[in-house]
Amino acid sequence: MSYYKIETLIQNKKNYKIYLLVQQVVENFLQNNGYLKVELPVLSPALIPESYLEVFETNFRYLNKSKKLYLTPSPELFLKRLLVSGIGNCYYLGKSFRNSEPSSSLHSSEFVMLEFYRVNANYMDLAEEVLEMLKRISTKVNEFKYMNNQKLEKKTRIIYKKREISFDKWEKISVIEAFEKYSQITEEELFDHKLFLKKAKEKGYQTENFSYEDIWSQIYAQEIEPFLGINGYPTLIYDYPKEFAALAKLNSDGKTAQRFEFYISGIELGDCYTELTDWKEQKKRFLEEKKKRLLAKKINHPIDHGFIRALKCGLVNCSGIAIGLERLAIIFANVDAIDKLKLINVKI
Amino acid sequence: MKINAGNLKKGDFILHEGEVWQVQKSEFYSPGKGSALMKTKIKNLISGKNIDFTFKSNEEIELIEVESIEMQYLYKDESSLYFMDERNFNQYAISLNVVGKIANFLKEGCKVFVYLYDERPLNIRPPMNVKLKVIETEEAVKGDTVTGAKKAAKVETGAIVMVPIFIRVNDVIIINPETGEYTGRA
Repeated sequence: MSYYKIETLIQNKKNYKIYLLVQQVVENFLQNNGYLKVELPVLSPALIPESYLEVFETNFRYLNKSKKLYLTPSPELFLKRLLVSGIGNCYYLGKSFRNSEPSSSLHSSEFVMLEFYRVNANYMDLAEEVLEMLKRISTKVNEFKYMNNQKLEKKTRIIYKKREISFDKWEKISVIEAFEKYSQITEEELFDHKLFLKKAKEKGYQTENFSYEDIWSQIYAQEIEPFLGINGYPTLIYDYPKEFAALAKLNSDGKTAQRFEFYISGIELGDCYTELTDWKEQKKRFLEEKKKRLLAKKINHPIDHGFIRALKCGLVNCSGIAIGLERLAIIFANVDAIDKLKLINVKI
Repeated sequence: MKINAGNLKKGDFILHEGEVWQVQKSEFYSPGKGSALMKTKIKNLISGKNIDFTFKSNEEIELIEVESIEMQYLYKDESSLYFMDERNFNQYAISLNVVGKIANFLKEGCKVFVYLYDERPLNIRPPMNVKLKVIETEEAVKGDTVTGAKKAAKVETGAIVMVPIFIRVNDVIIINPETGEYTGRA
């Protein structure tokens, strides 16, 4: 018999209530700002190919026939169809699934994702709205804690791991500035793949047989992420090299794309793009990703061609952000792992 | 032996930048930009210093194969702990910085597994639990019936442990030496 464990964690009830409160505040906030809540399937016969993640495959059976279905790793394929059809500002709050990623303190293969899109807005417009949302959550969570006899903090700030975080503003830093400041990698070195790999090798990283993207990702996680969101404010890190934002609109410099992520205490909480509306570019990227998936021997799921057909009709100018709701809630519950928010935890 | 960093687990010994390290913690991390990563906390087995290091999950790491030998713990001084292999009476010293807090819970004469690499002692294998006698603690105050109330107790190795209030002097208690936490009465 293979190992598994189903844990009942009633001791987490207090944290779970904060998680529910965060969820409730987020939904009220978005609905008051004119976002429509969208319920979506989590099973789909085709997906958007993404080379960096693996999916769950299952079978629908009837009589002696069977049809392959996949659990959606993100609601994007459905939400963008709806945006093309003119739904306007909308959000999804529900489960998403990613395979081949063992559970850790900040990750579980099934997780709650909040994804929302705002039309006629760019990524920085969305950043302002996210900050307002964080302020609202902070206020409500502090009121809740006060009602439960805990110390009253100033409403728009919280304490996470003994560090104070205020939501009065973002600490903004561009990816270029961050590499200069924390890694001593110049702008020239950052964008020139050869120079970048040379610099990484000097720093002692294994570079042989690894791509620019692989090493970039390692240095970003090792040397930059630990410093994001630790100076009293959440950090917004923006304008990624275009290699890391293939679905985002390019900036006028031609090297970076309109993508930001935000962090508190070194934890990545959300990922935002000004969406690319060029369907030809999207299709090209789809085929490249599919090829990479095949090379990596990942599950060969059908490509969602209906998605490309929908984009041909024209995606409105919009920006979208994905936020891991459990990760966000651990900040407000002041715990260090998503397991501590759960009443039932399945370990495999 | 080479292994992928994605397979690193707590307790493994590795060669990194020419030195021997022991993995204290490892967590898989998939940032969605570039390759999946393995975030680790590793301890340098000379200085005892911990660092955080992020490996690419598919990068090759030199895993060191070590021997695990049961030895007798003799004593410690300001810098090291001393052990003896009872089969051949060879003595080995391991730096206090490397053993860390666990040293506070080792009783002279007890048996401990020591990891050897090329006849060089690297670290001890932390026992799952240790049994130690309480030598000093306050008597419980009458009427103090708060559930889960704790008080400090000094055990025979000199370490201070938080224990439930019903524990008395001369009781033998069970401690997890890695966390220093009381887990029960023997």
